[in-house]
Amino acid sequence: MKTVSLALRNLLRKPGRTAALAALTALLAFSVFGGSIVVRSLRHGLDSLESRLGADIIVVPSSAQSKVSFQNMLLQGTTGAFYMDAANLDRVREVDGVALASPQLFLASLKADCCSVKIQVIGFDPETDFFIRPWMEESVSRELGELDVVVGCKVEAEVGEIIRIYDERCKVIGRLAATGTGLDTAVYCNMDTMKTLLQAAEAKGVSHKVSSGDSDEQVSAIYVKVREGCDIGEVNSKIQGHTRKASAVRTKSMLTDVSDSLAGISSTVTLLIAAVWVLALVILLIAFVMIANERKREFAVLRLIGMSRGMLSGMILKESALCSLAGGLIGILLAALAVFPFTTLIETSLGLPYLRPETGVIVTTGLLALAAAVGIGSLAASWAAFRLSRVDPGTVLREGN
Amino acid sequence: MKKTTVISLLVLLLGAVIAIGSVSFLGPCVHEDGSFGACHWAGRAMLGIGVLLALQGAVALFCRDGGIRAGLMISSALTALLGLLTPGQLIALCGMATMRCRAVMQPAMRILCGAVLLISVIGVIAERKRTGEQA
Amino acid sequence: MMLRAEQISKQYFRRTGGANYFHAVKPVSLELQPGTVTVLCGRSGSGKTTLLHMLSGLLRPTEGRVLLGETDLYALSDRELSQLRNRFIGVVPQGRSVLDTLTVEENILLPGTLYAAPDRREAAARWMARLNIEALAQARASELSGGELRRTAIARTMCAAPDVILADEPTGDLDDENTALVFACFREAAAQGAAVFIVSHESDALQIADRAFRMDAGEMNPL
Repeated sequence: MKTVSLALRNLLRKPGRTAALAALTALLAFSVFGGSIVVRSLRHGLDSLESRLGADIIVVPSSAQSKVSFQNMLLQGTTGAFYMDAANLDRVREVDGVALASPQLFLASLKADCCSVKIQVIGFDPETDFFIRPWMEESVSRELGELDVVVGCKVEAEVGEIIRIYDERCKVIGRLAATGTGLDTAVYCNMDTMKTLLQAAEAKGVSHKVSSGDSDEQVSAIYVKVREGCDIGEVNSKIQGHTRKASAVRTKSMLTDVSDSLAGISSTVTLLIAAVWVLALVILLIAFVMIANERKREFAVLRLIGMSRGMLSGMILKESALCSLAGGLIGILLAALAVFPFTTLIETSLGLPYLRPETGVIVTTGLLALAAAVGIGSLAASWAAFRLSRVDPGTVLREGN
Repeated sequence: MKKTTVISLLVLLLGAVIAIGSVSFLGPCVHEDGSFGACHWAGRAMLGIGVLLALQGAVALFCRDGGIRAGLMISSALTALLGLLTPGQLIALCGMATMRCRAVMQPAMRILCGAVLLISVIGVIAERKRTGEQA
Repeated sequence: MMLRAEQISKQYFRRTGGANYFHAVKPVSLELQPGTVTVLCGRSGSGKTTLLHMLSGLLRPTEGRVLLGETDLYALSDRELSQLRNRFIGVVPQGRSVLDTLTVEENILLPGTLYAAPDRREAAARWMARLNIEALAQARASELSGGELRRTAIARTMCAAPDVILADEPTGDLDDENTALVFACFREAAAQGAAVFIVSHESDALQIADRAFRMDAGEMNPL
């Protein structure tokens, strides 16, 4: 019997003690793995939003509400419908320093029959668009025709399925890749389809007119790409001055808001993990000291029959490593069960972009969490091992006769 | 406590959580206007499955015959499998992943039913071992 | 191999009660010859166990040397001393010394598994039979009575066939029948060439002794 199998027997034949220690390390692994995955998902979501947005400036109607509404639409997937005069598009294009400007038109559906929930419909102009097309090209092969739509990954409609929006039958020709943002819950179509849908909405008594405008044409948002070498801030203020009843928002400032909340959540999670760790480490140390006292005689006997100090310490460390390994694996499994199936729930309750990191990152995080749990278990045990191996077996054997 | 007692008790408890959860904290979407979506009926089905599991666990808990207990565990494993497939596969849920039935009910029911399935299979193996030892 | 103690003594430091140092064992020399049984009697607290622990390499004497053959036990490193104790010195300590998490048989085989040693299962079976615990081979130590635990500890020592056997009150919790059995075992081990040293306050032990000593307040005298 090598010390490993002796350690294993000691663990298996004292299931209560082993379970208590494993539970502590499970808690450690759970907190560090679960917490890290949430933080990493938030960061991944922010990265995804950043790379998807692609625009330097976004022009939205100037009402205070529409700005908030736009941001919520992007981050939380709430619906928004706000409009401004389409002439603003030409005005933006006239501004010096604007390389590209592409309009979008929003419509909030009534409850669609599929899920009795409002759906955000986003119409874009395939000719000028630089925002949705690159994303679409990843998963949709053909151009959008009349009454064709593509859906975000969180809309549960299969390709080929017909969804009804204001009683218009729209055909789903593709599903988009996940972004972890509010864009995942929207439905996308070209401007012609959008106009048809707007008319259908009007027929149902839902008005989408701007209260006062120069023309009948309207847009909801204008995505602007600034020419390379031009100062974005400068172009932003020029657009601001040049457009009517519209405000230009720098995407960077919007992203800063998001990354600020992310930083807040990150530090809260980190603090929580730290608190759990300090607590668990203290409990582990106390537990090991108590166990060491309880097992003093057992260890003295092992010394008596010829175990050296090194072998004894090795056995204690192996016991704790095996126990923390089991606990760590259980903790990671439980955290995975808590975090991955409930991704959408976490995303909606945080109201921030949240995108599951790549498998490689998840595996690495899991291994690190496991290593940390085993490490901390061994650290707590090594103190006990050190103290025990220094105990004089003669003295212990005399005690408690 | 004997292993088989623990297993029956777990099936009873998890069944109760499924049943109670399906009409409360793990339940389907609630619509403001009081109308029902398909997910409502998936929730109702889960209520029935949860009650059935809890009863199977309860009967197994008080049953002294190892063979009958094994039979009950096979039955609870199959019932759990049904529960695993009910929300989403057998009964449709809402069309948006952010809705409660998809974000909460479906994953929670899958985890709970998966756990019952696993525990029941362990229970069947444990019963077989016991009867094997007695024979 | 012979175990020899040369003028070993043990002093302890006391904070209270007059003299700061007290002699648990006053300087004593002793030779444990192969094939002999040596018995040490004395009241409790007279220093018997301290002497036995010093002889076994578990307790470093304040002064003097303990030699196994020509090897000075306390000049060895912990690793070397542990290995030497495992191989050549068998100790039956006072009180419980059987591991709860192992079965009787595993306990008896344990010393042989720490360092590469030949298979001792046959010897284990023989000693279990000899000590009437063969039926308990697969029982967990936590299920045993005091007498059964004691006999398991003795079987563990005997099974390793050490050159020196040091037993501290080995019959403390045994009935008359088992006491006689255990003493016969020690005699048998001596006949096979072991040097046996028994600490006991029972006069029965004297019947199997080749030499006997008495310990009084740390001083050892021939009986």
